Amino acid sequence: MNAQVQIDAQLRELSYAEAIREAMAIALESDPAVVLMGEDIGTYGGAFQVTGDLIDRFGPERVMDTPISELGGAGVAVGAALTGLKPIFEFQFSDFAALAMEQIVNQAAKLRYMLGGEAEVPVVFRMPSGSGTGAAAQHSQSFEAWFGHVPGLKVVQPSTPAEAKGLLLAALADPDPVVVFEHKLLYKMKGPVPAGHYITPIGKAAVVRPGNAVTIVASAIMVHRALEAAAKLAAEGIEAEVIDLRTVRPLDRETIIASVKKTGKLLCVYEGVRTLGVGAEISALVAESEAFDYLDAPIQRLGGAEAPIPYNPDLERAAVPQSPDIERVARQLAKGEV
Amino acid sequence: MPVEVIMPKVDMDMASGKLAVWHVAEGEVVKKGAALFDIETDKAAMEVEAPATGRLHHVLAAPGETVAVGRPVAFIYAEGEAVGASPVAVEAPKTEAPAPLAGAAPVVVATIIAPDSADLRATPVARRLAREAGLELAAIAGTGPRGRIQRADVEAAVARAQPAPAVAEAPVTAPAAPISWEPHPGDLNVTTRKGVGVPLVMIHGFAADSHGWRPLEEALPKEQALIRIDLPSHGRSPLKRVGGFAELARLMVQVFDKVAEGPVHLLGHSLGGGLALALADIRPRQVRTLSLIAPAGLGPEIDGAALNGIARASSVDSLAPWLKRLTARPGGISHDFAKAAMLARLDPALREAQQEMARALFPDGVQAFDLTAALERVAMPALMIWGRDDHILPWKQALAAPGEVALHLLRGIGHVPQMEDPATVGALVGRHLRG
Repeated sequence: MNAQVQIDAQLRELSYAEAIREAMAIALESDPAVVLMGEDIGTYGGAFQVTGDLIDRFGPERVMDTPISELGGAGVAVGAALTGLKPIFEFQFSDFAALAMEQIVNQAAKLRYMLGGEAEVPVVFRMPSGSGTGAAAQHSQSFEAWFGHVPGLKVVQPSTPAEAKGLLLAALADPDPVVVFEHKLLYKMKGPVPAGHYITPIGKAAVVRPGNAVTIVASAIMVHRALEAAAKLAAEGIEAEVIDLRTVRPLDRETIIASVKKTGKLLCVYEGVRTLGVGAEISALVAESEAFDYLDAPIQRLGGAEAPIPYNPDLERAAVPQSPDIERVARQLAKGEV
Repeated sequence: MPVEVIMPKVDMDMASGKLAVWHVAEGEVVKKGAALFDIETDKAAMEVEAPATGRLHHVLAAPGETVAVGRPVAFIYAEGEAVGASPVAVEAPKTEAPAPLAGAAPVVVATIIAPDSADLRATPVARRLAREAGLELAAIAGTGPRGRIQRADVEAAVARAQPAPAVAEAPVTAPAAPISWEPHPGDLNVTTRKGVGVPLVMIHGFAADSHGWRPLEEALPKEQALIRIDLPSHGRSPLKRVGGFAELARLMVQVFDKVAEGPVHLLGHSLGGGLALALADIRPRQVRTLSLIAPAGLGPEIDGAALNGIARASSVDSLAPWLKRLTARPGGISHDFAKAAMLARLDPALREAQQEMARALFPDGVQAFDLTAALERVAMPALMIWGRDDHILPWKQALAAPGEVALHLLRGIGHVPQMEDPATVGALVGRHLRG
């Protein structure tokens, strides 16, 4: 794995989708083993137009449309990875990964282990994920915890354009299968993105806003909602520390524990269903760690409702944590009211 | 039902505690959270707060008495509540008490009511801090949801439970009549010990507090009336930003005017010595005698590193090495003393305020105020005591004193003579007060 981070001084504003496309273009240019696969990623440019015009630049042999069979497509990607290519397989919606679980969980995640380390599966699964687009119950889920539960997989959740590019390039550099959850609502979000090749390390969280009153651990779009809440709390004199988790598996224990030891309060915010979700794991790891003796309030979780994501836009919003929810709970924690 | 006051367990290996002093007399009104009595263990002394508001009755332990941990020492009755017979006497032990032997004196067994730990809620960090501070959680009021004890509650309790330093062995004196310390309303925390004659006003030094006077108090005549003032941002006084010595002196004059109803004797140590000198200069007619122990303001030199180190230290490990400079020899400060001192400094806001005060009074490690002229003007009988091995303020600054000032330069003594040799200092000050 190329751990060297090369960041051009030149920063441009790119959207999250453009940053991912740029990462794929850099990979396609620099490594002939890299291929893109997925449904309608070629001429159509992808369900969310992330691959865009890459087929024009790299041709249909490097940017491959696969049939409408997630299991089949993922199987081809895993097989290609096993035999020396570095495929990036795009699901139209992360929900459809349910169709490909055999290939992701039973094959990609297990083959290195089953073959005694003799084989590696350097495949990357890109999964447009999350709610907020009015796509209803079968197109709006957050499956990070599902895949995070599988040893042999790595799971990342970029929250900004720069992270989206850096984590995708890190995923490609990783010799093992990596699942990238891209948040659909972030595709149009713009942000500074370094030019050229660089890596955002897998397994490292980032403190994106320092504070001492309460730790908010969030990922993907929840980072932005947490930052929004933190800005409002700061006006009241409450300095919340916001951690962008970035990677769900492996979790960055050190960063989380160090922050909780400082603040004594922890709020986990995640879009997936609250029960057995990523925040449940973070809560448990903190409760089990040396940070326990620093806790000054019960750990709080804000997660998705115990229900399918509703189609009705108001209900859809209510089904996942929003900025005012985060603000309210973080304030209660900071004030010792929980 | 009266609230039981028990001997708290303030140390991990503490089985019993010696009741040192009652701050409230029997039948008097007591407020929850106010200092109720002091206890002494072999390691430290500390204040115990009243667990309830009401009137103190059935005082079971006299000063000097040793009481087992958990045993009641008194009861607090709500205002208006009928005071019955001592609950301890009437409540028979529930478990099998040894049957009194025929002819033997009746055995009085106190009922020990353990704090109901099942009802006690405290966050992990509150538990840890209380454990480290040797505080009983049951004695701390929780302000969190459902009465949960939170970090801030323990920190507040720790800030209140100012342990007394125990540098030197306090002279063993027979327990006298209960000594009563009474709080005085005002801008700063002032406590008074009733007595006869002209009271002695005592002002402690930087980063210390009124409890530091305890060894000397015991060495002074028991009937001596005492008035102790906690400097701002010290002890139980509120945190207050002080821009410089003149501003601090003005504040002290305001407090002094309220405290000193008639003539007083004035005693100060280190920074408190400087302030005592300034007070004597500003209010010469009210000050009967002046006693200065290693007073500040008589020269530029001061160990700024030690001042800042003490003010800044956030743990025993970082505090202890600096404290060792206080005494003539590093061995004079025990680890337990440092621990007790750290307990009083756990509040980061207090430490920050004291650091700020250090910056204002001693910028760049220099005494920025000069009181030599004030010393020249002193007209009342004045006494100065200085340790010849003072590592904080050089004793030669004592030579700034005019000829009328009685100088006592003690050999083998450092910056805190009142702790290192309270008997000598007590004798010198006592004689000075008597004229």
